[in-house]
Amino acid sequence: MKTLVLAIAAIAALTAGAHAQSYKIATEGSYPPYNFTDDSGKLGGYDIDVGTEMCKRAGVECTFITNDWDSIIPNLLANNYDAIMDDMSITDERKQTIAFTDPYFPPDPSTYLTLSTTKVDYANIKGMKLGAQKATIQAGYLDQNFKADNTILTYDTQDQEMADLNAGNLDIIFLDGSVVAEAVAASGGKLKADGPEILIGDGVGVGMRQSDADLTKKFDTALAAMKADGALDALIAKYFPEKAGGPFYKK
Amino acid sequence: MLVDWLPQGLKDILGPDVIFWLGYITNGKHLNWYASVQYTLAAMLLGGAVALVVGVLAAAARNNGPRPLRWLAAGYINIVRGVPDVLFFLFFPLAFEQGLEWLYSLQVCTADTLALNVGKWPPCPAANLSFNSVAYLVLAGVSLGIVYGAFIASVVAGALQSVPQGQLEAARAYGMSRIEVLRRVHIRQMWVYALPGIANVWMSIVKATALLSLLQIFDFVAWAQRLGASNFSKAAGLVHDDWRWRYYLVLLVFYVLVTFVSEKIFSAIGSRLRRGMPMAEQGLT
Repeated sequence: MKTLVLAIAAIAALTAGAHAQSYKIATEGSYPPYNFTDDSGKLGGYDIDVGTEMCKRAGVECTFITNDWDSIIPNLLANNYDAIMDDMSITDERKQTIAFTDPYFPPDPSTYLTLSTTKVDYANIKGMKLGAQKATIQAGYLDQNFKADNTILTYDTQDQEMADLNAGNLDIIFLDGSVVAEAVAASGGKLKADGPEILIGDGVGVGMRQSDADLTKKFDTALAAMKADGALDALIAKYFPEKAGGPFYKK
Repeated sequence: MLVDWLPQGLKDILGPDVIFWLGYITNGKHLNWYASVQYTLAAMLLGGAVALVVGVLAAAARNNGPRPLRWLAAGYINIVRGVPDVLFFLFFPLAFEQGLEWLYSLQVCTADTLALNVGKWPPCPAANLSFNSVAYLVLAGVSLGIVYGAFIASVVAGALQSVPQGQLEAARAYGMSRIEVLRRVHIRQMWVYALPGIANVWMSIVKATALLSLLQIFDFVAWAQRLGASNFSKAAGLVHDDWRWRYYLVLLVFYVLVTFVSEKIFSAIGSRLRRGMPMAEQGLT
């Protein structure tokens, strides 16, 4: 029994690695332009650039790792990493299990994405196939409002729902407005943003464990400094050229 | 990029389109994809090795072991063979990790930290083991080995019975003990009869490695999925539609190649094993 415990402790030490003020931040790596794997094979995107700068200003070392979206909160709670930066909206429901920093993206209403040939009566959606990514605020909204008269499909990743929309297996995707704008701009007229804009959640924040109040405060201070000197606005302009109405944070 | 190293003369011959696509399929993310073959191959080889060891031990235990061991081996073979490999693949690494965490928690958790964490896993935060992908790769290989070890066990058990009784009687007549007969004569001669069955199970192991991405291991299949996914963001690289079928086609070719090479290797091993065994050579068993 003793050797067994020693062996487990050794495994724990091996898997834990160097824990000297180095934090791991989880992201999905497949939610452009927030996070993606670029052509050189590295993680990139708005979440990654903001996180890197935030950690630099907070004086801590951070590395980004990838984790699937649907298990991203449980793995944070299990201490497998220390923060989530994956375009995660601050909602009351999520606040019951995790904490958030202040938002690092301006309020972003969700909107509908369809093929430009699709016609929808948004006041009365019936008999449609609506899609959203699993466990997102949009999936929750579709479920609450359109479940009775429509088919709701949920997907593990954003690219899967985009593929289904382009192939005609899906009529409407409900998605963050900023992502819809980028997708429409790149589609060369094939896709369109459509219907009303609906504000859900309180902006995008870094997901933290509730017990890590000190680190959350450090990140908040760093984010406030990035807002004040225009660094955050510059990153928004870089990754969301279609987003109108800046500067958002610089005074 | 790799294409930058090509001499200008060659670039002129190939033309800008070919150079562009050559550059695209040798950019960083594609190189990551090619490199990820190592995970698939590692899981294959580890799974195969574990399956062989587990299979031979279980078969020997079921055929020749003392009674409790015989029951244990029979139970293992029958139960594990009846479980879908995907299910076991999901079950075993998770159960193993949480089992370790439970044992570990008995040592590191105090009554206070336990009370704070009621109803959550791990029992207390200190008992959390965060496995990296190498650990998961090993667990994946072992899971494959345990599942397919049961199939190998039934192949080997049949092969053990196919060894002519005369050979074993002769060995006993020389005064060898039970274990010696098993080790020196019975298992040695068994391989010839077991090989076709083992080759078959190996093919199944090869194909089951496509499940690795279920454990968040960024293997050949997971990368193909990600590279083939449509991309609309210029920041993320080349903007393209859904290209998954092209990448899946490469996966199909890869698996056909692996099975083709395996078949060649197994037939070479087979003819080597049949040397000096005239009955087996003629197929008269």
